[in-house]
Amino acid sequence: MVRLITHNLLACHVKGCTSNNFPLQFKDVQVELREAEFNPDFLRGFIPRLEWGALVDAARQLGDTSLPAEPPEMLDDDFLQKLHHVLLEVHIEEGAMICPNCNHVYPISNGIPNMASAYHQPIHNVVN
Amino acid sequence: MGLQYLFVFAQAHEEFRIPELLSIAELHGFEVTFPPPPSDISRPFMVLELESEVHARILARRCILVKFVCEFYGRGKAYEELHEQTRNNREKWSQYTQDTSFKFFISAYNHTVPQKRMKDVVESFHYMDFQGKIDMNNPEIVLACFEEYRDKRGTTRHKHEGDGDFEEVFFGRLLEEGTARPLVKTFDVKKRAYYGNTSMEAEISLLMANQTLAAPGKLIYDPFIGTGSMAYTTAHFGALVFGSDIDGRQMRGKEKQPGIIRAAAQYGVAHRIIDLCTFDVTRNPWRCGELFDAIITDPPYGVRAGAKRLGRKARPDKAPRPKPAEPFSSKRPDDEPYIPPTMPYELSSLVVDLVLLARYLLRPRGRLVFFLPTVTDEYEELDIQTMLCEGMEVVANSLQNFGTWGRRLITIRKITSERYPPPTFTSAQDTPDDGKAHTPAHKDFREKYFQGFKKAEDEQFGETTET
Repeated sequence: MVRLITHNLLACHVKGCTSNNFPLQFKDVQVELREAEFNPDFLRGFIPRLEWGALVDAARQLGDTSLPAEPPEMLDDDFLQKLHHVLLEVHIEEGAMICPNCNHVYPISNGIPNMASAYHQPIHNVVN
Repeated sequence: MGLQYLFVFAQAHEEFRIPELLSIAELHGFEVTFPPPPSDISRPFMVLELESEVHARILARRCILVKFVCEFYGRGKAYEELHEQTRNNREKWSQYTQDTSFKFFISAYNHTVPQKRMKDVVESFHYMDFQGKIDMNNPEIVLACFEEYRDKRGTTRHKHEGDGDFEEVFFGRLLEEGTARPLVKTFDVKKRAYYGNTSMEAEISLLMANQTLAAPGKLIYDPFIGTGSMAYTTAHFGALVFGSDIDGRQMRGKEKQPGIIRAAAQYGVAHRIIDLCTFDVTRNPWRCGELFDAIITDPPYGVRAGAKRLGRKARPDKAPRPKPAEPFSSKRPDDEPYIPPTMPYELSSLVVDLVLLARYLLRPRGRLVFFLPTVTDEYEELDIQTMLCEGMEVVANSLQNFGTWGRRLITIRKITSERYPPPTFTSAQDTPDDGKAHTPAHKDFREKYFQGFKKAEDEQFGETTET
């Protein structure tokens, strides 16, 4: 859980934190790899929704350098398999995600991230 | 004119039958032609027109409420009429008369046909002149005959009293038994590894999943996932599911492995639960919109689980708390570092916000499927209109009636490809109560529920909830 597809869709939403709030940075993460069903149509349809640079960086942070810096023109099976692995088979079980802007910490426990932000707290109070 | 098929439905959720057929037809890209009105939707028999037998089989394999699908040969108020129609449809069955093994299946709705008359019924079809062998165990074709009786519940009578006094009788060749219907047992909540007091019953969870057009390659989101009831059924049909809830404990349960994942593993779909996140959907972290093919949810309406959102209740009688001198420490004993205060979320504003959220998060043509509780006597068609916004239209609205109240399964489609900004979740404040706007019957549903749905004479509840 907390697959990289999810990481690619979540931004910090602390009140007032509206710029440079994505992607969240991993900290002290425990990674597990688990197989998922390969569905090329889903992947092709989802590529336009991805922030490609953020995905490549996140994968590299976790030691996976299989993705090219830019999505290729030709979405062949070999590339889609790599994308499938990075997006859906890498799970972060423990650790935290930290906002690069306000440093809010979103902890991950047993694979479930706590994305609740204390909205009524001003940003400086949330800093760990 | 298309081909005619006899559909026999389960004796439940009658308002859900047609929406389910239409959803599965849309998912597979074909048309269903219904009999011209007036047709009584409470009857469990329907003769529909379809372009091909393949379509009939698709519906039988996916629709939860379908019990049998037959190639239609005839119907009548009496057997004479049925036989005449069947004779006229000779070209549909003459190919089976030579050497096809067969058996008859005689059944009745609201009645049991006595063994003795079954034989008479079978013999009345002698003119079809089937030469093949009768095979009770493994026939090549099954000829099915259904008698429909009036509902006689609550009357004292002899077992076979009124035998033959049916409303109508239907006849055809059995194509398929509804193979999706046994899923109701598969997903039985009582046999589930993890569930809670708000878990949705299996049959409804399956019907909801069909309304979302769940299929492989689709991404579906439940923003009030709770114990995950609808995640399992949508994932069963191949979709990838994303869930969030304001209360992480609901998704986790007591063991290390989250409860939703344990139950999903029981159904072999754990790999399709993309992720579960703890957050209040009114303070959501989604980076952008147009992410999901469907949103499926049973929003909390305050009876068993209170609808909550982040924020403090307005308490004018109390002075504001002094600000803590030190910032909050995140070191707390359990794994939730900070449990923010919550406040109640009134149902009608929750629903308006939900539709706005769906317009933002759904892809064009995506669907929002959710339950809306309503007070039976006060419900009006207009209530549904109060929740709609530009670009969203109602596809289906099916009532599950519990007496004084009921809940409506609402299916809404996004009909725009225009991009909208994320909702502000301030619909309650944005629409000033000037007394002119229509007040839907589901407003303040929680208060009405706990007051036993008293008539509107005492207009008190409108005021008591303002505080």
